[in-house]
Amino acid sequence: MTQLPTPGATPAQPPPSEPIPAAAPPRPRWRETLGLLARNPTAAVSAVVLVLIVLVAVFDETLAPDGPNDQDPGRQLQPPSWAHPFGTDEFGRDVFSRVVLGAATSLRVGFLSVAFALVVGTLIGLLAGFYGRWVDDTLMRLMDVLFAFPAVLLAIAIVAIRGAGPANAILAIGIVYVPIFARVTRASVLGVREEVYVRASRSVGASDWRLITRHVLPNAAPPIIVQTSISLAFAVLAEAALSFLGLGPRRPNPSWGLMLADGRGFIEQAWWYTVFPGLAIVVTVLCFNLLGDGLRDVLDPRQRTLMAGGGR
Amino acid sequence: MRTNRFLPLAAAAALVLSACGGGESVDTGGGGGGENVLVAAVSAQPDQFDPHATNAYASFQVLENVYDTLVVPDPEDLTMQPSLAESWTTSPDGLSWTFTLRDGVTFHDGSEFDSADVVYSYRRIIDEELANAYRFATVADVTAPDPRTVVLTLTRPTPNLLELIGSFKGMAILPENAAEDLDLQTEANGTGPFELESSDANATVLTAFDDHWGGAPTVDGVEFRYITEPSAALTALSNGEVQWTDNVPPQNIESLQDDDAVEIGSVTSVEYYYLSMNYRVPPFDNRDVRRAIATAVDREEVTQAARFGAAQPNETAIPQGSPWYLDYAPFTPDQEAARQLLAQAGVQTPLTMGLMVTDEIPETVAAAQVIASQLQPIGVEVEIQEEDLATWLDRQSQGDFDAFLLSWIGNIDPADFYENQHLSTGGSNYQGYTNPQVDTLLTQAATEPDQAVRKDLYDQAARIIVDDVSYLYLYNPDEVQAWAAGLTGYQVRADAAINFETVELP
Repeated sequence: MTQLPTPGATPAQPPPSEPIPAAAPPRPRWRETLGLLARNPTAAVSAVVLVLIVLVAVFDETLAPDGPNDQDPGRQLQPPSWAHPFGTDEFGRDVFSRVVLGAATSLRVGFLSVAFALVVGTLIGLLAGFYGRWVDDTLMRLMDVLFAFPAVLLAIAIVAIRGAGPANAILAIGIVYVPIFARVTRASVLGVREEVYVRASRSVGASDWRLITRHVLPNAAPPIIVQTSISLAFAVLAEAALSFLGLGPRRPNPSWGLMLADGRGFIEQAWWYTVFPGLAIVVTVLCFNLLGDGLRDVLDPRQRTLMAGGGR
Repeated sequence: MRTNRFLPLAAAAALVLSACGGGESVDTGGGGGGENVLVAAVSAQPDQFDPHATNAYASFQVLENVYDTLVVPDPEDLTMQPSLAESWTTSPDGLSWTFTLRDGVTFHDGSEFDSADVVYSYRRIIDEELANAYRFATVADVTAPDPRTVVLTLTRPTPNLLELIGSFKGMAILPENAAEDLDLQTEANGTGPFELESSDANATVLTAFDDHWGGAPTVDGVEFRYITEPSAALTALSNGEVQWTDNVPPQNIESLQDDDAVEIGSVTSVEYYYLSMNYRVPPFDNRDVRRAIATAVDREEVTQAARFGAAQPNETAIPQGSPWYLDYAPFTPDQEAARQLLAQAGVQTPLTMGLMVTDEIPETVAAAQVIASQLQPIGVEVEIQEEDLATWLDRQSQGDFDAFLLSWIGNIDPADFYENQHLSTGGSNYQGYTNPQVDTLLTQAATEPDQAVRKDLYDQAARIIVDDVSYLYLYNPDEVQAWAAGLTGYQVRADAAINFETVELP
């Protein structure tokens, strides 16, 4: 028995498919990240403080009441007061002004050196991880050689060879952190390289360049971002160390490390001379570190799910 | 005089070395050898104990108490007094000096001192061309007609011969054949009030030499402990671990004056700090430019920042208090006048002046920063170039500088202050100063036997040197030392020599 079409009935049409729910456009990943970060109080506070420090560095000349080298023998080594909140040094210079003006020096060296390490290191790590074999061996053994030296010692050696000065300090610190970025990137790339979506893309004939830029790098990025933040902390510290040793900016340019070195001889008479530049270094380094920790939690896929789930 | 510059420098270098070498440990287990031993905190370890070979101030601190010279500077005014030589005469033509030696002097090993020892010591310095050979530049011969007499024959009259052979223990008298019998680097055999007992990475120990010709010293011994960090040295002094130190940064003087357990001794030293501009580098070859810079510098401010006032600003080299002092101060700090001089010279401002200093002597870095801020308003941008000492010296000798700032120490006779630095042929005339008038005056003064005439000649030369700004003189620093309250029989000296022969512990 066959069921005959009911006369007049139109052939059965497939029911109209449900309209695709006008899904809320997926939140961009970076905004989600920011949101998660905001829920991590230490990281959030660190980020805010860092923004403040950057603002201080940008508007340093407006904020500093005195020039970096305004001397006044009449106000030698004065303790903190309303006129000089951080006191004065042996030349009668305002320590507050010099700490403010020193922020730019420290951050400039920090950012530029890490930028150098990031670009060069990531490139090396990408090539090594993506192409493997002899490319990997050559590049990574080279990195191992660099990595074998203690970081600050290597930086000192480079500056000693090339001569003291901010440009060489940037280069030295940059070179020192290249291997770290290379290793982090390579490890991350190795994980991503064999993912199905990469192989799929390759099978449809995507070029290496497209594979690297569209698939590998974006997915390998989170550890690199975390490493950047943590490296910034070390770079600021390394800059202070080099300056302290007289291998950074020249006197009388204000620099936190130099101020520490100079203030050391007066620590019994004038604690403020070393304490405030020292605090500036501590706060900056600590914030970069805490932000790095926060970013790691947020960017780690497993942690991320956990956090997102917990937040619902 | 090149050597003398090395005294502070070598001391600074040794200081760095000993800081790395663990020489800082402070023995808290009480004093050294016994009850009546003076423990002195010095900042650096002696590099060696050969008085003819070392340049290090740290070595001379010890050797001052171990060796003697024919004549010695008076502790007060640094005029030359008898020591191993009891008396001396000069031939009428000034070309022959006869020294009569002291009788009954014995070396630490018991051997008798006589003229052969003097001849041996002087010949060693001359023949082996040791550090101080230049001091015998006019000496043609050293002879010993008898055991109590030494004759120096000269090529030209040398009125400052006594200063040349006696101003410091680099001219010490060793026993004959000492270099063969002893390892002079680590051993000593002198005629001084103390014997070298031992020396290691922590301290050098001296014991009293009871047969000393001037009588046994008042203490049984001296222990020189190396304490690099000034705060550690001062703490050790306050709590009685050490009884004496010269490791006193100027900024600590004020607080030490309030400390009842500590006494401070201070005297204007014969050292002088100066700035030197390179005559081969325009526009510093222009007298007006140099004078503009000399006019813009405020020496009071420089000493205040670099020395916390523990210094005597001076526009000439020789300190007030020396019989050779010249009261001459033509420059008054005046930025307007300085600007006019620069305009007169026709130079384009701002002009840049590299100023070479060394971080091994932090005082030069501080002074340079003050000078930089003083010159900026007149349109001279000072670029402070901090170098390590080796590079600094290298650049100096190659003439690779616009200007530099440093000091000379250990000067007593005016020839020491002016000859090498300002004669056109002077060995330390790195700035390239040439003034025939100065050459004539200095050459004349070098052989002038009459002291008053000689001083007048040096005064004339000094005025021209200052006016030409061959050197831009800055200040004479104070020699500052601190000791336990109640310590007596000790005196801070302008030549920074340290002699514990008559010291008495509290």
